[in-house]
Amino acid sequence: MHIPDGFLAPTITLPAYAISAPLWVWAARKHFGPNQVEALPAVGALTAVAFVLQTIMIPVPGGTSTHLIGAALLALAQGPLVAFVCESLVLLVQALFFGAGGITALGVNALAMGLLGPLCAWLVFRGLRRASPRLAALLAAYLGMQVSTLAVALTLGLQHHLSPAIFPTPFPVMIAAMMLPSLTVAGIVEGLYTMLALRLLERVRGKAAS
Amino acid sequence: MKLGPRASRLLLAAWFAACFVFSAITDPIWLAALQIAIALVFWKQAPAAARRTALSAVPLTLFLILASWGWVRFVAHQTPDLRAYAALALRASLIAFTSFAVLARVDLLAALAPWPTLMRLLVIILGQVHALRLLVSESLLGLRSRLPRKPRALDVVRDAGGLTATLLTLASKNARDISDAMRSRGF
Repeated sequence: MHIPDGFLAPTITLPAYAISAPLWVWAARKHFGPNQVEALPAVGALTAVAFVLQTIMIPVPGGTSTHLIGAALLALAQGPLVAFVCESLVLLVQALFFGAGGITALGVNALAMGLLGPLCAWLVFRGLRRASPRLAALLAAYLGMQVSTLAVALTLGLQHHLSPAIFPTPFPVMIAAMMLPSLTVAGIVEGLYTMLALRLLERVRGKAAS
Repeated sequence: MKLGPRASRLLLAAWFAACFVFSAITDPIWLAALQIAIALVFWKQAPAAARRTALSAVPLTLFLILASWGWVRFVAHQTPDLRAYAALALRASLIAFTSFAVLARVDLLAALAPWPTLMRLLVIILGQVHALRLLVSESLLGLRSRLPRKPRALDVVRDAGGLTATLLTLASKNARDISDAMRSRGF
């Protein structure tokens, strides 16, 4: 789902950085500033778990594969701002050391996969958790995944509209290619995984508290 | 030999700016020329960087380009702009190659020394990523050995919940250990 380097021009990547950078600073200061130095190990651990989850590939009909994001779980367990910082760090590590995603597209990827999707998941979960926490978690993660994918597809569509020489694939083709696997496979898997993992985390926390 | 902290920071800043400049170039000839120029500048790092680019960025980019080209050609019944696709592939590989070459030349930890929090976080994450990837491989092996058939996507998802709880518990413990060790050494 990550947008690699070279797929977007600076007309999109620079404004995305301009939006992301203050948010990174604000979120990092709010949750992981000098006074919260004890939070660093937790951030590192959560980030690493999200990273590892993204390496679990799910086969999609047609010979391709998609992967979990894990950001919805972070948002539901720790809040959307923590999820944003952790997901951004995952994307940074992937871009720097593993060649996945990209350094120029980091701002766009972080906004789409780290902020919009997890924020949507968090809002849906807060709205529905009283009715049924499990169903709320499943639906929240499913919708969060769709929002992230849609944001990525819209960005690529905008790039094609602004300059087809940079990104030659038209928007209808892009949105179909991205949304079909997300709606039919990846979203459901992310929802099921988030629901099960959240339940287990609550059980572990309950045991630790008692 | 790795560069010193100040030179590393300057090279990182130049690389960051260059990536944005490269991402705006649409002429395949210019992109190919730049690829050769970067390979000459970083000739010592070039073989390793080329290998890493071929293993990471190239397959994904080629797959995305072929899929896009196929959709445009056979589903949308339009003629794909091959020059634009060639430029896309060259741009993606140029940026990946430059990134790997520069990162092999700089001393990242020394360059990040003025920001100890960021350095600690990076060390913790990279240490954790390595440990957790090993754990995931072992867990998947365990899952395969428990099932009489090849695990399907649903089996992996069902197991992922339990795996995450184990991963989080282990990761928190390890991360705290690494962080305490680094803090006690003055980071």
